[in-house]
Amino acid sequence: MTSAAIDLRDITLIRRTQEELHYDLKRTLLDLVGGRVRKVRRQQVLDAVSLRVGHGEKIALIGPNGSGKSTLLKVIAGVLKPTRGSVSVDGTLAPLIELGVGFDPDLSLVDNVVYYGVLLGHEEAEVRERIDAILEFAELGPLRDQPTKTLSSGMAARLGFAIATEFRPDILLLDEALAVGDERFLRKSATRLDTFWDASSTIVLVSHNLQYIERTCDRAIWLDHGTIRFDGHAGEAVRQYLQTVPGDNAFRRGDELIELARQNVRGEIVVRGTSPTDEGLKVFLIRDGVRHWVTHPRWYAQSGYAWGDIIHVDDAVIREVPEGDWLS
Amino acid sequence: MPLGQTQRRRVFELIRISALRSLKVRYRGSALGVLWSLTNPLMLTAVYTAIFGTTFSQYYGGSIARYVVSAFVGLAVVTFFLNATNEALTSVVSNGPLLNKMAIPPAIFPLSAIAANLFQQAVTALPIVLVMSIVLAHDPVRALLVPVVLFAILLLSTGVGLALSALFVFFRDLPYLWQIVGFILWMTSPLFYPIEVASGGVRRWFAFNPIAQDMSALREVVYGQGPIHFHFIWLGLVVGLVALVLGGLFFRATQSEFMDLL
Repeated sequence: MTSAAIDLRDITLIRRTQEELHYDLKRTLLDLVGGRVRKVRRQQVLDAVSLRVGHGEKIALIGPNGSGKSTLLKVIAGVLKPTRGSVSVDGTLAPLIELGVGFDPDLSLVDNVVYYGVLLGHEEAEVRERIDAILEFAELGPLRDQPTKTLSSGMAARLGFAIATEFRPDILLLDEALAVGDERFLRKSATRLDTFWDASSTIVLVSHNLQYIERTCDRAIWLDHGTIRFDGHAGEAVRQYLQTVPGDNAFRRGDELIELARQNVRGEIVVRGTSPTDEGLKVFLIRDGVRHWVTHPRWYAQSGYAWGDIIHVDDAVIREVPEGDWLS
Repeated sequence: MPLGQTQRRRVFELIRISALRSLKVRYRGSALGVLWSLTNPLMLTAVYTAIFGTTFSQYYGGSIARYVVSAFVGLAVVTFFLNATNEALTSVVSNGPLLNKMAIPPAIFPLSAIAANLFQQAVTALPIVLVMSIVLAHDPVRALLVPVVLFAILLLSTGVGLALSALFVFFRDLPYLWQIVGFILWMTSPLFYPIEVASGGVRRWFAFNPIAQDMSALREVVYGQGPIHFHFIWLGLVVGLVALVLGGLFFRATQSEFMDLL
């Protein structure tokens, strides 16, 4: 058998559900005294998932929210240990998961780069040699001795991206990592990712950007409720997956979107373009017949929109709606 | 699970860099900052001496200086234990975001919290206690035993710290409870009062307070006279080792569920 970069065999993962947390010693003890024993509720997140990824292969994980895509990525990264099954990974790994979180807010940028780099498994001396290159790529050189809490979340994500990709990993794990920073940095990070894409790196990508996946990945895995529904050619995986997604891609004309926004209780809807990443993650708010750019990825979360509320629409359809202002 | 040599080296490297991180944050790169950590025990010693010094000096051969030394040594023990365990307690949860992105053994964080506090003690209270021992006990063996007693306290703090950090993942009201336990340990240790003022019945319970045990051991090596009472030291080491083994086993048994709750 030829060696695989990633070899997952019969991965089953059972986790405690977050709602069932006791989080409270006082109540647990009182319950015990009162004779009430609450059982911890568990949930199967991955069910006998087997997956072999060859060296240099570029694959995507697709599927609805909660289907286990990010969980599977964390299993590959070694962050989560499977309840059953075996994981073997051959090569150095760069997890680009939840970019920008995990920095110590009180440490300077330089110290955080060193700390983060060592945690990722690199020698301290090696990381120190690359500090300038990392800060330069993240365009944060002038802030090198500032505490990291002065960074915006976009800047922190840029720094996380720069550190993780500086060391030419054999295997790159991307979790919607392409959606960091402003338009210009997006282009820059996409360029750097392209070098991995061209090179011999193995890439596992979790993304909702189906067009991008079709264009760039050899193979896609469609996950649903923790099991693999389809594993094969990316275009075919996307096609089969889209057939099960109601609503999405059902819009063919811009005025349909405007009408939908009018009918909505809030009088507005949030739509997302399916453009290739080199043009960035496009999120728009449609209100009063005009589409507004939403510049910050956090905006829609702060405005009370969940990921599932965002309607996935072809770029061409969005472009039919007259352009309005930038919201930030 | 036995670790290979490279893995062991990585674990030590992670503990070192993580301890360095907390020291850096605490002292903002200023070497003098470490000395600031002495202000707390020094000021408390001064307060205790001002209030109780004259009254209790009779138990110390009428010497207020002896009372000062006794209070300082006691404070060194209890503040190290409480600082180290309190910092370890929150360490796994507060590093949850990091643990969620990369494969790091979670024990790194409580261990580095203990290591950072150990370093702090090693450059502040330890030299003072050593000098006290050399000057007061006039006994090189006692001075050599000072690090041994500190090692016993280190074992105890590490074991308790590991257990607390694991428990905090499951029970987020733990700091409140641990504060109360800390206060009880503080009050039931002969810290600012001589052990003789407690009634005999209560005194028997002191044997169950490991902090009180370690205080007696440290005092024995700092200003004890005559033949050394080794049993304090032995007891401290044994209790520390038991705490470390139990704390470590508890941590290992529970850590598989950490990631579900972080």
